[in-house]
Amino acid sequence: MNDLMWIDIIAYVLQFMLIAIAVVVVLQKNNSTIVLLVVAFSLVVSGLYVINHAPDVAIAEVAIGAAIIPLIYVISISRQREFIVLDRAMDDFIISNNDFTGIGYVLLKRFTDYYHLELNICNDPGLCSWEAGPDKVICEKTNVDLIVSRDEEKGVYQLKGKESSLLMTKLAQMAEDYDDIEVHTFTERGFGE
Amino acid sequence: MSRKIILVAALGILFVMFFLSMEEMEDLFKNDAKLYFFEHGLDDTGSSNLITAILLDYRLFDSLFEAGILLVAVSGVIWISRHDFEERNAHFMLDKYKTPELFVTLSRFVFPLLLMLGFFIILNGHLTPGGGFQGGAVVATAILLLYYINLERKTDISLIVAVVKFAYLGIVLTASISLITRGEIFTNFMAVDAPTMSKYIYIIALDILIGINVALCLWAIFTAFLKEGR
Repeated sequence: MNDLMWIDIIAYVLQFMLIAIAVVVVLQKNNSTIVLLVVAFSLVVSGLYVINHAPDVAIAEVAIGAAIIPLIYVISISRQREFIVLDRAMDDFIISNNDFTGIGYVLLKRFTDYYHLELNICNDPGLCSWEAGPDKVICEKTNVDLIVSRDEEKGVYQLKGKESSLLMTKLAQMAEDYDDIEVHTFTERGFGE
Repeated sequence: MSRKIILVAALGILFVMFFLSMEEMEDLFKNDAKLYFFEHGLDDTGSSNLITAILLDYRLFDSLFEAGILLVAVSGVIWISRHDFEERNAHFMLDKYKTPELFVTLSRFVFPLLLMLGFFIILNGHLTPGGGFQGGAVVATAILLLYYINLERKTDISLIVAVVKFAYLGIVLTASISLITRGEIFTNFMAVDAPTMSKYIYIIALDILIGINVALCLWAIFTAFLKEGR
């Protein structure tokens, strides 16, 4: 009889914890904190399943809710904050003196810091194709946000961003101070086209 | 304002109806099905875990479609993410997403234990809590940890999808063998009066196939997410 009472008390505590965690998840703003709270939620739920004699469901809840879903969320959140630049100029625009000190890098770094994004630069030209014309770029293999290229005739660097991206207006505003940088947009291939 | 009042009133009505229906639940718990499974479950299916007995024998038709739904989900995720079957790992100049050293070290220690726990849950589905689905999810977790240890790990998604298809085919075929041996589809293929010991074989075989199906499906979904932003 004594054991039964303890289990009842634990069950009530866990149920109140569930409500508290659910409220905090809604109020939180930080993504990584929310992931940890979701993990706590599934651990509490699986404890309740064990108390209510459903160990099979509890194992499934722990494996899915506390391991696989947070692993997927962590990856998705880190990808969401990434700003990928494809460098086709391949000169001292990004890297000068063997370090990230080129004017292009300084500009892009200032831009990504303004939006709290993580800047990542790639110089593999095979990522995108220009078969459909200079203004229509197909980036199927990766999700490239900005393409840097050099226009030899005008002697300027061109930054091409997605037409659909709202960040481009801010980048154009930031690049006004530099004489040799132009900001353009390209159209993406639509979904299922 | 009136909208809020209606909302609160509707919630109140729901609450009252929930409490009224709680009395009806008494009948539900007195059901004969539970007593039947208690008495005949072990003899009929050879599984002392009655949940597995119900999932893989009495209600196998439901489980088949559950495994099928996972397969459909994988094909949907891969179609939406427009995932290229040809793997291409571009070289990035600034890769800041290095996993913390502590996590990597702990993962290396936990990985074999998790894998072993997963296989244990799959193979003992008829004795202990768990079964194909739970064990498959644990094995999938162990595999996903490898991606955190080495971020540039390559995966052949087309191979995973092909194996998943054959595993699902294997589940359906194993479940249909009983049509020949017992003359009844989707049940244990051992004879009705066979000893309990030999009836295990069917449960273990089906658990292994479902475990492969679930682990590979979750692996494929994770890989699609991993490649999505890149």
